[in-house]
Amino acid sequence: MIAKDVVKQLTKIVGKENVLADLKDLIAYSYDATPRQEMPDVIVFPRNTADVSAIMKLAHREKLPVVPRGAGTNLSGGTVPFKGGIVLEISRMNRILEINTANRRVVVEPGVVNLDLQNTLAPLGYFYPPDPASQKSSTLAGNIGENAGGPLCLRYGVTSKYVCGIEIVLADGEVMNIGDYVDDSPGYDLRGLFIGSEGILGVATKLVLHIIPKPEANRTMLAIFDNLEDAGQAVSDIISAGIVPGALELLDQKMCWVIEQSVQAGYPTDSAGVLLIEVAGFADSLNKQVKEIEEICQRSKVKELRIAQTAAERDALWKGRRGAFGAVARICPPYSVCDGTVPRDKLAQALHKVGEIAEKYKVLIANVAHAGDGNLHPLILFDVNKPEEKAAAKKAGDEVLSACIALGGTITGEHGIGLEKLDAMPHLFDPLDIAAMRQVKKVFDPDDILNPGKVLPHEKAEVSAKEKVLH
Amino acid sequence: MEKKTPPENQTFYQQLGKIVGPENMKTDDRTVSRYAIDGMVPRAVAFPTGTKQVAQAVKAASEARVAIVPWGSGSGQQVGTCLSEMDIVLYLSRMKRVTDFDASNFTVQVEAGLTNAELQTQLAEHNLFFPLRPAHSETSSIGGQVATNGNGPARILYGNLRDLVLGVTVVTPAGEIVHTGGKTMKNVAGLDLCKMFIGSWGTLGVITEAVVRVYPLPEVARGFYITFASPEDAFQMIGRVLDSPLTPSAIELVDPVAGRHMDGIGARLNEGEVLLIITAEGTPGDVERHGKDITELARNHKAKSPTVLEGEEVVKAWRAYHHMHADLLASDPAMIQGKASVPISRLDDLFREVKRVGKGYGVEVGATAHGGNGILYPYFAANDEKASRIIDELKRTAAGLGGFFVVEAAPPQVRKSVQIMPPRNDYALMKRLKAEFDPHNILNPGRLLGGL
Repeated sequence: MIAKDVVKQLTKIVGKENVLADLKDLIAYSYDATPRQEMPDVIVFPRNTADVSAIMKLAHREKLPVVPRGAGTNLSGGTVPFKGGIVLEISRMNRILEINTANRRVVVEPGVVNLDLQNTLAPLGYFYPPDPASQKSSTLAGNIGENAGGPLCLRYGVTSKYVCGIEIVLADGEVMNIGDYVDDSPGYDLRGLFIGSEGILGVATKLVLHIIPKPEANRTMLAIFDNLEDAGQAVSDIISAGIVPGALELLDQKMCWVIEQSVQAGYPTDSAGVLLIEVAGFADSLNKQVKEIEEICQRSKVKELRIAQTAAERDALWKGRRGAFGAVARICPPYSVCDGTVPRDKLAQALHKVGEIAEKYKVLIANVAHAGDGNLHPLILFDVNKPEEKAAAKKAGDEVLSACIALGGTITGEHGIGLEKLDAMPHLFDPLDIAAMRQVKKVFDPDDILNPGKVLPHEKAEVSAKEKVLH
Repeated sequence: MEKKTPPENQTFYQQLGKIVGPENMKTDDRTVSRYAIDGMVPRAVAFPTGTKQVAQAVKAASEARVAIVPWGSGSGQQVGTCLSEMDIVLYLSRMKRVTDFDASNFTVQVEAGLTNAELQTQLAEHNLFFPLRPAHSETSSIGGQVATNGNGPARILYGNLRDLVLGVTVVTPAGEIVHTGGKTMKNVAGLDLCKMFIGSWGTLGVITEAVVRVYPLPEVARGFYITFASPEDAFQMIGRVLDSPLTPSAIELVDPVAGRHMDGIGARLNEGEVLLIITAEGTPGDVERHGKDITELARNHKAKSPTVLEGEEVVKAWRAYHHMHADLLASDPAMIQGKASVPISRLDDLFREVKRVGKGYGVEVGATAHGGNGILYPYFAANDEKASRIIDELKRTAAGLGGFFVVEAAPPQVRKSVQIMPPRNDYALMKRLKAEFDPHNILNPGRLLGGL
């Protein structure tokens, strides 16, 4: 519990209207999109960089934990105030400061919501490619904190590719600019280190992002398969053919069923799975690509290929995919999302393994995957009131991650380590690798006050996990 | 840097010989003099054959406080800030293995000493390629390319090294082997240390292996070579191309001074003209469409109709383009090559200003540019005193346009006398990072811009 005096000082910095410390507010900021819950001591909403700096100076002096937070939609416990302290919520810093299509840049405050930026850019014919499923509510700085992906990242690349410069506030309140508005800023790529650091290195207070013109046209298709291996083969063949689709998403039968319960996207519920494929490019050459994909799918024994003929049909197909997590939450609120990634030709194998794991632990797993990138999201459904089911879900999730590592992959493609995957870190990295990460943390935040306890496992935990693997 | 007494260092050199094998360590004058950098000659050159040997060598050097210079093909050793110390060279170009060739995942893992050209040859057998070819790519090693963040013209379409390098294996200054990243397209496990090593100029660790993304060779690659009567028209055209759905794989600009050093089309530029090179690659339909739009845009911007090259001719033209840089540098012992980066829409102002500054000093300035990235490389030769004044003025000019200017290649006395790092408020943090990873300052000391 922090001293009353700290709340008073925070109030002095940002004003009464920007501090919350009532129990109901503390509860509201005690969780993210994972089941984990821990109480903060106070929530503060800075209005500008100077506020953030003053807050950090105070926290630094008092050695208080600070959890930077955007919209709290993250999926790994990253914004759960694990050690209490201050939740530093940047959502009120939400102005778009500059849009410059000639420079392909926008400058924004950290709390701008991803979709708000997209909607502002769309009339100009431009877009910001990272499109996480949470884009309706997640903030751009939150996206940077997690190095967010999304369906479009297959064609365009992930968040780290589109972040040019960041103004950050360090743990001691110092303000600095990493990266730059222009390309190739000299020196170490501190911006690269910061992106995906889940709030343990600093607080982003201003972002310079790269934007690009929208493609001239899109075509969206739904390929329906009786066998997931065939769908996986189609994915490999499409990429091998040199086609870079705008998106290449896989949803299995259970997922389609769940989606159809809440969103009528027209997905079949009687087939093994579907591929949602979107190609982007020139209006005059897209037909050829669609045809090529059609042929590839046919070679992979596609059962049916539906090509959206109208904008409404395209939107319906996307509505299903974008609403997937929400649809699962409707039928089973406490679900857990895995976020394993495998080399892209190993996707079918990984999905097969996930099926075996579901059977072994008798849990229901629905699958959605950014298939083109080998990034799978098995959603494990369980009854939170049944401890044995909860435990089985946890075990199944761990085993999915182990399976991904065994296939040459990794334990998270876009959701981060947070709290949830701390135990898995030593399975993926050697102690020396993690030690090097700790050195970076020490340089940025020697007192460990920024989002403490996240991303990097405790040194002791690391040793015991390694021993477990050995035995 | 604090150094131990010579007798102890003597032990170190014996130890180094044992680590890499006596036949893989040279101390004779003829060999070591070939590895001189800016007048500094190493006492020994070691030729390790794998990551483990590198780790052992660095560990021993670290204990003896011996300054190590990692060496790929050497093509970047005369660029940027001068070294402050040099005891041994770790020559990595015997490490050329492809340790994982995963064609179906579109990744390869290679040792640092493999050259970009060698990698391309191996990839081509599988109908694949690695898109990023910097100016020295015929000789430069992949490790060196990653360490110096060498991107090349295709960055406009494929992204930079930081987007295409998925992981690196590194030997830290303490002699420990650290793995970063992996071979998946997406990976957010832990801190992204891979990014920290890209462009770190060998000052934070010796890169011994890298995993890179590769791509299927495009069905068609076509180059459009467009001559403009005035640079303004060329820059306007660049703006139009960037503001369109076109996805060219290069937008490069060459002025007549630089063009004189380029075989073929660039050499024919008249005073005041500029050459714009736009390439497109992909399916025949997509490339066709690029050709149609580019030709029309060129006509609207008062350009002569484009010369179109295809296939092997495009490759040859790129070779000429890359040689132009080396030839420019070799054309005068006093030649300086700088790099300015400004917001894309200010590139035309930068071009004009660079010319104006040169004229003011009676110095001819040549220029090439990455049109889609706002990056311009000025070339000029001047005596030291004049050069330093020109450099100062270019720094002010670039800063005034919202960017920066740095000196890349130049005679050592110039690189020693000018402050190369532009002022940055994150420099202190970079310094702390270097001190944390390399507390004894033994790895490429002074080599990063600003002297880290």
